[in-house]
Amino acid sequence: MRVAFYPGCVSKGACPELYVAANAIAEPLGLQLEELAEAPCTGAGVISEQNPDLADALNGLTLAMAESKGAHLMTICSTCQGVLSNHNHHLKRDSARLDKVNATIGDQGFRYGGTTEVKHLLWMLFEDIGIDRIKAAIKRKLTGLKIAPFYGCYILRPAEYLGLVERPERKTYLEQLIGLLGAEAVEYSGATKCCGFPMLTFNRDKSLAMAGNHIMEAKDKGADLLVTPCPLCHLNLDGQQPDAARVLKKPIDVPIFHLPQLLGLAFGLSPEELRLDHHVVPTKGALEKVELKV
Amino acid sequence: MQFTIEVGRYNPEGKYDERAVAGKPYPPPWDKAAPRRYQTYTVDLPAHAVVLDALIAIREYQDESLAVRCACRSAICGSCAMWVNGHAHLACKSKLTTFTKDGKTRVEAPPSMPVIRDLVADMTPFWEKHRAVKPWLEAKQPEPPPMEEYRVPNAAMEELIQEVSCISCGACLMDCESFAVNPDFLGPQALAQAYRYAGDPRDAETKERLGAYSGPGGIWDCTHCYECVTQCPKGVAPLEQILKLRRLAVDAGFTNNAGTRHADAFADSVKHSGRLNELTLLPRSVGFFNILDQLKTLPSAFNMIRAGKFPPLIHKSIPGVQRIKNIFARVGGRFK
Amino acid sequence: MTIDHDVLVLGAGLAGMRAALEAAREGADVAIVTKVHPIRSHSSAAQGGINAALGEGDTWESHAFDTIKGSDYLADQDAVEVMCREAPADIVEFEHMGVIFYRNEDGKLGTRAFGGASQARTYFVGDITGQALLVTLYDQILKAGVKVYEEWFATTLYVENGACRGLVALEMITGELHLVRAKAVIDAAGGLGRVFEPSTNALICTGDGYALAYRAGAPLMDMEMVQYHPTTLAGSGFLMSEAARGEGAYLLNSEGERFMKRYAPNKMELAARDVCSRSEVTEIAEGRGIDGNVLLDCRHLGADVILKKLPQIHEMALDYVGLDMIKDPIPVRPGMHYQMGGVKTDASGATRLPGLYAAGEVACVSVHGGNRLGANSLLDTIVFGRHSGKASAAFVKGVAASRGGENVLQAEQARLKELLARPYTGETHARLRLELATMMDKHCGVYRDEAGLTEALRQLSGLKARYEKIAVGDKSRIFNQALTFALEVGFMLDCADAIVRSALERKESRGAQSRTDYPERNDAEWLKHILITYRTGKEPELSYAPVTITQWKPEARSY
Repeated sequence: MRVAFYPGCVSKGACPELYVAANAIAEPLGLQLEELAEAPCTGAGVISEQNPDLADALNGLTLAMAESKGAHLMTICSTCQGVLSNHNHHLKRDSARLDKVNATIGDQGFRYGGTTEVKHLLWMLFEDIGIDRIKAAIKRKLTGLKIAPFYGCYILRPAEYLGLVERPERKTYLEQLIGLLGAEAVEYSGATKCCGFPMLTFNRDKSLAMAGNHIMEAKDKGADLLVTPCPLCHLNLDGQQPDAARVLKKPIDVPIFHLPQLLGLAFGLSPEELRLDHHVVPTKGALEKVELKV
Repeated sequence: MQFTIEVGRYNPEGKYDERAVAGKPYPPPWDKAAPRRYQTYTVDLPAHAVVLDALIAIREYQDESLAVRCACRSAICGSCAMWVNGHAHLACKSKLTTFTKDGKTRVEAPPSMPVIRDLVADMTPFWEKHRAVKPWLEAKQPEPPPMEEYRVPNAAMEELIQEVSCISCGACLMDCESFAVNPDFLGPQALAQAYRYAGDPRDAETKERLGAYSGPGGIWDCTHCYECVTQCPKGVAPLEQILKLRRLAVDAGFTNNAGTRHADAFADSVKHSGRLNELTLLPRSVGFFNILDQLKTLPSAFNMIRAGKFPPLIHKSIPGVQRIKNIFARVGGRFK
Repeated sequence: MTIDHDVLVLGAGLAGMRAALEAAREGADVAIVTKVHPIRSHSSAAQGGINAALGEGDTWESHAFDTIKGSDYLADQDAVEVMCREAPADIVEFEHMGVIFYRNEDGKLGTRAFGGASQARTYFVGDITGQALLVTLYDQILKAGVKVYEEWFATTLYVENGACRGLVALEMITGELHLVRAKAVIDAAGGLGRVFEPSTNALICTGDGYALAYRAGAPLMDMEMVQYHPTTLAGSGFLMSEAARGEGAYLLNSEGERFMKRYAPNKMELAARDVCSRSEVTEIAEGRGIDGNVLLDCRHLGADVILKKLPQIHEMALDYVGLDMIKDPIPVRPGMHYQMGGVKTDASGATRLPGLYAAGEVACVSVHGGNRLGANSLLDTIVFGRHSGKASAAFVKGVAASRGGENVLQAEQARLKELLARPYTGETHARLRLELATMMDKHCGVYRDEAGLTEALRQLSGLKARYEKIAVGDKSRIFNQALTFALEVGFMLDCADAIVRSALERKESRGAQSRTDYPERNDAEWLKHILITYRTGKEPELSYAPVTITQWKPEARSY
C-alpha cells in the first residue's frame, strides 16, 4: 500500500531510532513509504498559535504534496498528526481559508484541493492495513510484558479535528495493538494525558513533573515499559527521564518504546536493528522479559 | 432502569482536607490521597436520567448524608461539576447511559482540589485565580455620558460571548494538567476571563493586563493539552482564549519570556531550513543569557549524546527549501 | 461568633449584589450573607432579557402602561413609574460596567420583542442575559472588595425592640452558628419556586427570604399571585425562555393549531404569561394536548437564528428531551416560575419592619401586581436593589449599633440541636417537600376554587404537624445539607400557608390568580392588595392595602 510518508522533524533529528524503526517495519506491513522530502515542518502547534495564516500555508503545502501523490499522508508523530488534522479540518470546510492558502502556495506551484486524508501509522494499522496482516507478520509474541500505552495529547484532542467523533475506537488502538502483540495493556489514567513537552522550555520542572508523574503511575500499576506514537513525548519521557526523576526525587527507570519499535520486535527484528540500544533509559530490563538481549 | 453509582465519600468531622491549609503545595497526582472510601448505590430512574438525578435520588431516598452542591439542574448555575469516571463533568449534564462503564458510574470530588465533604470540593483556588486576573472592566475614559452606551461594533461584542458563557463550574481547572503539577498556574477559567477583558474594546488597561498575564503562572504555563476545551460544558474553549492572549501579548511587546523566544526560534528554524533544528531550539528558547537555566539543560544533553540521540551537528535544509522561504516572505508576519 | 456590620444583605443574586454595591458606594460597611456562592444564584437562570424604554421613540410611559396592564392593574403605579423612568439609566450603567449587550449595526444597544410589550424594548445577551448581568455584578463586587460570607445559611432574623438588627446564620463549612448584627438588613434571598412541582426554579429557591421576614413580623403582600411560565420543558420543568416566542416561535396544540389566536388574537404567543398559561391549561384540559403538554415550534426560525439567539435552550432541549429545535417542536407546559407577591416594601425598599429592607423577587413593591411581564424581573432587581442599598445606607447613619442578640443565638443553637437529635420516624424531609409541592400545584395552581384551596389548607396543617417530628438523616457538623434542607422545608411550609390563605381571601380572578368560582375581575371590591402578617400562636392576620393609581385607570385587559 502506497503512502505519502511524512516523518516529521524529530525522527530525523533527536529521535533517529524512530525513523529507522518506521522504515524497518514498512515491508512486513506491506507499506510503500514515499517520503515527502520537500515538505516543511508542521510548526508543532507553535507556529499555528502565533501566526495561523503562516501555519495554514506551510501545512497546506504539505497536504498538497501528499495530494499530488494520490495517497494517504501517513505520520509517525502524534504532534504532526494533531497539527495536520487541525489545519486539514479547517481547510476542508472553510473555502475562504483554503483560497488564501492556495493563493500563497500557488506561487510555489502547488494547489490543495482538499482531498488528503492524514493518518497516523497507529490508525492505519487498524483502518487500512488490517488486523489479519498484522497477525500474519507477528513472529515473536511479546507475552509476559506489561505495556502502558501513552498516546500523546495531540492525537486525542480536540476530538472533532481528529475524527474521534466518527471513530471513537481510535482512542483505544494502542491497547488493542498491545493485546494483538501478545502483551498485557496497563490501565492507568496517565495514558491520555500530556507529557509536558510543550512547556519544557517555559517551565522545565513542571513539564518534567508531568512526564514523571504519568510514568510513575504506570510503573505503580506494574508497567515494564511505556509505548508512545509521538517522538516529542518520547523526548520528555525518555530523553528527560533522569531529570524528571530529579524533580520527583524518586528513581523512575522505565524504558519508553516508540510504536514502530514495538511492532518491529513482534515482527522478529532485532533490538539493534530497531536502535533500542540507543535510548537514554536502558531497555535491557524490558527486553529480557521476552528473552531478548541488547 | 437500574443504575449503579459508586460515590467517593469523605467526612472529615473536625477538620477538612489538609491540603486546604494555605501555603502547602499539593502533592503530585499519583501520590494524591484518593477519597477515603467509595460507596456503591443502586437507583431506579428513567433511561434519560443524568448523574445528578441519581445523586438527588440517593440523597432523598437512601442516604441523607450525601453532600453534593447542586441548584439549577440544567447546566446554568455550575454548582455540580465533579469527576465522573475520572474526568470533570457537570453531573446534571452527564447521562447515566453514556457514562455507565462495566455496569457502573463512578463519581468523586476532583483530586486536584481539597475536599470539604463527599462531592463538595473547596473551590477557593478557583475563585482566587479568577480574582487574580482583575476580572472587571476598567472602563476606558472618558466614559460616554450616563445615558449613552459605548459605541462598539456588535462583532466585537459577539466575539466575547463565548467567554461570557462561562458558568464558573470549574471543570476546566479540575482537569487542567498544568494546574495538577503547578498550583500557581492561573488556569483555564481565569485566563479565559482575562481574555474577555483584554479583548474588550471598552477596557482601558489592555496593555497592563497582557503584561501581567505574561508573567509566572500566566499564559506561558499552559501545556496546550486541550483538556479544558474538551471538558468545558459551555464551549468556552479556554485554551483558544489563552492562545489569543499569547498573540496579543507578543504583539504588545511582551516578548522577554521563554514562550516568545521558543516561537521565534521555531519559526526561524523552519524558515531557514524547512524543519526544526533541535540543537538551537532549546538554548534559544531558554535565552542565551539565562546561564543558570542553560546549565540545567546540560545533563540531559549529555545523556542524549551518550545514547546516540543527538541531532546531526550540521543541520541540513530540506530540498526545495526556497519555497518555504518564499512562503515566509509572503505570510510570515513578524517572522518574515 | 458575633459579627457587626452597618448593612447586611441576605442573598447574593442580582438584587442582593446591586444593593451591596450601592451601599458600599454610599460608604456603609456592608457585607453579604449567602447560602451559595454568588455565581450560583438563580438570577443566572433568567434568560431572555431586561426591559427599558431606551430606544428611539420609546417612552417610559409606554413601558409603565404595559407593565401596569400586564399586572392586571394590581401594580402600584407610583412604583412602576419609578422603575420605568429609571430603567434606561440602569441599563446603560450596566453596559458601562461591562455587560456584553447585543448591538445593532450602528454599534448601539439592540432589542428583541417580549411578551406584553407594545414595542420591542428588551435588551439582551444571547439567551444568557441573567448570567451575563450576574457575572458582571460579581466582578464589580470583587472590585469593590465587599465582604461575602459564602455558604452561610440564615436560620432566623434578629429583631430587637421591634426593629430588625441582624440575623443568625449557619456557617456550613464549620457547622458553627453565628450572630451577624447589622443596623439594617436587606432581604434579597430570592424566590420560592420549590413550593410547587413542577417549577422552573433551582433547588435553592425555597422561600427562605419570605419566611424569615414573615416570622420576624414583616407583612407579606399579594402572595396569591404566583406566575406559571407558559413554556417549561416537559418532565423537568426547565425554563424555555420567552425569547423563543420573542423571536417568533409558535405554540401549537395536538391539532397543529396556533391556539393563541382564540385567546389573544392580537398578541398571539406574546400575550402576557398568565394569559398564555391559562390558554395552555384549557387546551390540555379540553383534550387538545399531547401527553399533558403543548408544543413550542421554532422550526420556521431557521438554524441561524436558533443557534445564535437561542443557543442555550436549543441545547437544553437536546440534552433533556432529546429533541432538536431546528427540526422538531418541543413539548412544553406551564410550570410555576415566579412569585409576584412577597415582603411588602415601598419604593425605597423599606418593609414595614424598621431596619428591614427587601429587593428582588422576594419583595413586593408592587411593580408586577397580578402578573409580571417577561424581562421586567431583571429590571426590578437592579432598580430596587439599588434603592434598597441607598436607602439602607442612609438609614444606618442615624442608628446605634445593637449590643444584644446572644439570647437569639443561643435559642437557635438549641433549636438546631433538637432538630439533629430527633429519632428517625420513617419519614424524610424530601418526601414531605414533594407532597407539599405536588399538592400546591394541584389545589393552588393555574386554576383554583374554594373547595381546592380549603383542601390545601387542611393538608397543610397535616404537613406542618408531621414536619415537627421528622428527623434529620445526617448528624455531621461539617457541610450538613440535610440540616439546611430541613430548615428550607420549614420555610416552604410558611410560604405555602401564606399563599393559600391569600388565594382564599381574594374572591376574584385577576392576573395570575384564576378562580373558577369567581371567574371575573372585580375592581369594585378587589382592586386592593392582600397582606398577611404572622402572629405567634394564632392564625395569621389578613389585611388590605390600597393600590396606588396615578395616571392609568384600570381597564379591561385583553391582548
